[in-house]
Amino acid sequence: MPAVTVLQRFALLPRGLRWSLLTLACLIVLAVVAPWLSPFDAETPDWDAVLQPPSLASGHWFGTDAIGRDIFVRSFLGLRLSLLIGLLATAIALLIGLGWGAVAGYFGGRLERLLMRLLDVFSALPFMLLVILLLALFGRSLPLLLLAIGGYVWIELARVVRAEAARLRSQPFVTAAIVAGASPWQVLRWHLLPNLLGLALVYASLIAANAVLIESFLGFLGLGVAEPASGLGSLLHDGSQELDQAPWTLLFPALLLVATLASFQQLGDALRDATDPRRS
Amino acid sequence: MTSPAMTEPEERALLDVRDLRVLDGEGRELLSSLSFSLDAGRCLGIVGESGSGKSLTALALCGLLPAPLRASGCLNLCNDDGAVSAFDLAGDLGKVRGGGIALVFQDALASLHPLRRIGSQLRETLCVRRGQSRTQADVEARQLLARMQLPDSVLSRLPHQLSGGQRQRVLLALALATQPRLLIADESTSALDPQVQADVLALLRREVLGRGIGLVFIGHDLSVVASLADRLAVFHRGRLIEQGAATPVLDHPTQDYTRQLIAATRLPAAPPSVIDSPLLSMRGLRVRYPGATQDALVLDALDIARGETLALVGESGSGKSTLARTLLRLLPPGLDAEIHLDGLRWDRLQGAALRRERRRVQSVFQDPYASLDPRQRIDRLLAEPRRIHGLSTDRDTLVGLLAAVGLDAGALGRHPHAFSGGQRQRIAIARALAAEPDLLIADEAVSALDARVRGEILALLNRLKSERGLSLLFISHDMDAAAAVADRIAVMKDGRIVECAPAPALLRSPRHDYSRALLAARPAPLRMVAG
Repeated sequence: MPAVTVLQRFALLPRGLRWSLLTLACLIVLAVVAPWLSPFDAETPDWDAVLQPPSLASGHWFGTDAIGRDIFVRSFLGLRLSLLIGLLATAIALLIGLGWGAVAGYFGGRLERLLMRLLDVFSALPFMLLVILLLALFGRSLPLLLLAIGGYVWIELARVVRAEAARLRSQPFVTAAIVAGASPWQVLRWHLLPNLLGLALVYASLIAANAVLIESFLGFLGLGVAEPASGLGSLLHDGSQELDQAPWTLLFPALLLVATLASFQQLGDALRDATDPRRS
Repeated sequence: MTSPAMTEPEERALLDVRDLRVLDGEGRELLSSLSFSLDAGRCLGIVGESGSGKSLTALALCGLLPAPLRASGCLNLCNDDGAVSAFDLAGDLGKVRGGGIALVFQDALASLHPLRRIGSQLRETLCVRRGQSRTQADVEARQLLARMQLPDSVLSRLPHQLSGGQRQRVLLALALATQPRLLIADESTSALDPQVQADVLALLRREVLGRGIGLVFIGHDLSVVASLADRLAVFHRGRLIEQGAATPVLDHPTQDYTRQLIAATRLPAAPPSVIDSPLLSMRGLRVRYPGATQDALVLDALDIARGETLALVGESGSGKSTLARTLLRLLPPGLDAEIHLDGLRWDRLQGAALRRERRRVQSVFQDPYASLDPRQRIDRLLAEPRRIHGLSTDRDTLVGLLAAVGLDAGALGRHPHAFSGGQRQRIAIARALAAEPDLLIADEAVSALDARVRGEILALLNRLKSERGLSLLFISHDMDAAAAVADRIAVMKDGRIVECAPAPALLRSPRHDYSRALLAARPAPLRMVAG
C-alpha cells in the first residue's frame, strides 16, 4: 500500500486514537533507539560523576545515579525491558483469554460452566502473593515473569470474550455454518475467532497497561528480572533511595512509566469507543 | 401545484406542506422539494422502498430530524376553528408536536418506556397534555383502551408483557390521547402478522379516519398502504415521483417505478413441477422446548417430493421455524420420530456422519444482514460449504454460483456490507446452493425484503427449482408469497398442520377456518387491482 494512503488513513482516525498511537509509537522508537544516542554505558560505574544533575554540557542529559551511571541510558533501557515484558505478557494473555473465552462461549452448557467456575477460582486466588512466592522460590527468570504476569491479566479478557462468543453463537451466520456441515472446530476458527479478534485487541491494549504496571510493581519490590538488567520498576526503587539528594533519578523513569501507562490506557479507551457500534 | 383551498378559507386542507427539503450536514439534498396536502378524515399513503425518504418526511414534519440534517419549507396546519397556523419547517416545531401532529413508529417496544406500566404512561400524557386530574385521566385512559379494543387489564401491564399488536394499539392510544388533528404512522403495521395487521388497519380506519383525523400512512408494502389510502404518494430515491388519488394512481400509473411496485404485488406464478418419489418423509415429530408446558410442534406425517415446493404458512409462533430447525437437525425431533431423507435415517445420524450428510439439506434465513459472516469475503463464504465437503472451490465454480443467482464475478472480492439486503439474500442462496443440496429450506427468506426485491427473489427461487430439480420448503407468514412458489401449501397453527393441499385448490377453496382467515387477512384492494 502506498505511504500516502496510510498517512491519509491515519489522519482520518478519531483524535484520541491518533494521539495515543502517536505517543506509543514515539515511546517504542525511543526505547529502541535512545540508548544508542548517548556515549555512556548503562552498567559501568563512573566514580568521578556521582549524582550529577541533568546537564547538556556533561552529556548526562538526565543526570547520573549514586554510582555515576547515566540515567538517560538506564531509563530508556528500562522502558525497553518493561515494554517488552508488558507486550509479551499481553500476547500470552490474549492467547489464553481468547481461546478460553471462545470455547466457553461457543460450546456453552456444562463445559462453559466448568470453565467459568475455574475462572472464578482463579480470580479468587491472591494472585500477587502467589507470583511473589513463585518468583522468590524459583528465582527471577524472564519466562516465569512473563507467565506470571500473563497468567494474572487474562481473566477479565476471557470473561469479555466469552460474553461476545455466546452472543455470536446464536447469530444466523453461525447457524448457517453448522447447517453447511462445519465441525465445531471449523466454526470456531472460521467464524468465531475472526469476529472476536477485534474486541480482544481492544481489551488487550487495556491489559497491556496493566501488564506494564505489574512488571514495574514487581521490579520495585526487587522481584523483576535479575540484575544488572533493570526495568522501570527497579529504576524507581533506586531513585526513591536518592530522592532527597538527586530527585532526577526518580523523576525521569517515573515520567516514562506514566507516559506509557497513559498512552496504553488512552489507546484502549479510544479503540473501545471507535469500535462501539452505538457510536458509529 | 396550486390548491384551490388557498382562496377559500372554509375549505382549507387540514395539512398543507410546501416545498419541503431535507439537507444533510454537507448540504446534499436527501429529499427534494416536496409539496402535498391532505383533508381532514382522509389518508395520504406514502410508499417507496427503504431509503427512499419516507421516514425522513415523517421526521421533518415533526421537527425531529437527527442532528446534522436540516429541513426547509413550510407547513400549514388547520386548527379546529378553521384558522391556519403556519410553521417554518426549518424552525422549532415543538408546538406542532404537542397539539397538532402525533407520530406512531414501527417499533412499538422501543417507543414505550420499558419500566413503566401502560396506565401510568397513558395518564401522564393525559395529565400533561390535556391538564386532566388523576381521576379524569384514569377514566379517559380506560375509554381510550376500549376504543382500541384492549381490555382494562392492559393498564397494569409493562410493555414487554404485551403482544406486538397490543403494543401497536397502545401506541395508537397514546397518540390519540393528545387529540391530534393529524396522525403520522411510519411503518406502524409492518412488523405485524397479516391478521393482526388487518385488525390494526381496521382500527385506524374507524378511530382515526372515522373521527375526522388526517392520517399520513407510510409503508413499503403497496398493497397494505393502498388498502387505507385515499391519496397515494410514491417516493423513489428522495423524490416524490407520483402522487394523486389512489385509484387513478393504481389503475393508470404514469411512472415506470410505480408500475414496478404494482407489478411486484402481483407475484410470479409458480411453474408446474415434476413430482415423483418423496425425498423427505416425516413421521411422528414432537418438539417441546425445555420448560414449556405445550409441544411447539406436533406433526404426524408430512412428505416432500423430489422437485416439489411445499409452502408452510402460518402466523409467528405457529411452529413453522421449529419444523425448519428440526429438519436442519438443529433441534431433536422427539423420541418416536422418524425422518427419512432419500433412504437415510436422517433423525438417527450423529456427529461426523451427520456433518457429512448435512450437505443435502441447506437453508436460507430471514435476515440477510445477520446470516452472512461480516468478516469474510464473498469468495470465502461461498467456498466454505464446498471446502467442508471436499468439493472443488476453484474460481469458475464460485462465479457459476453467483451467476445462478444473478450476480457477477466482481462480488467475489467484497465483504457482505458492500451489498444491499436483496443482494445479500442472493448471496445467501448461492451459499446454500454451493453445498449442492437436495432440499432447500427458505425460512421467511423474503419477509425482510422490499416488495420489489421480494418479487425478484421469488422468481429466482422458482427458476432455481426448475433448473436444478431442487426440493424447496418455503416458510412464510405471507400467503401471497407462498402462492407464488408453492406446489402444495400446508397451513400451520399452534404447532399443528391444519390443512395441506395443492396450492390452487387451497387458494380457491380453503377448507379449514384458519386458512380462510389467513386468505381473508390479505389486504383487499390490490387483489382487485392485481386481478
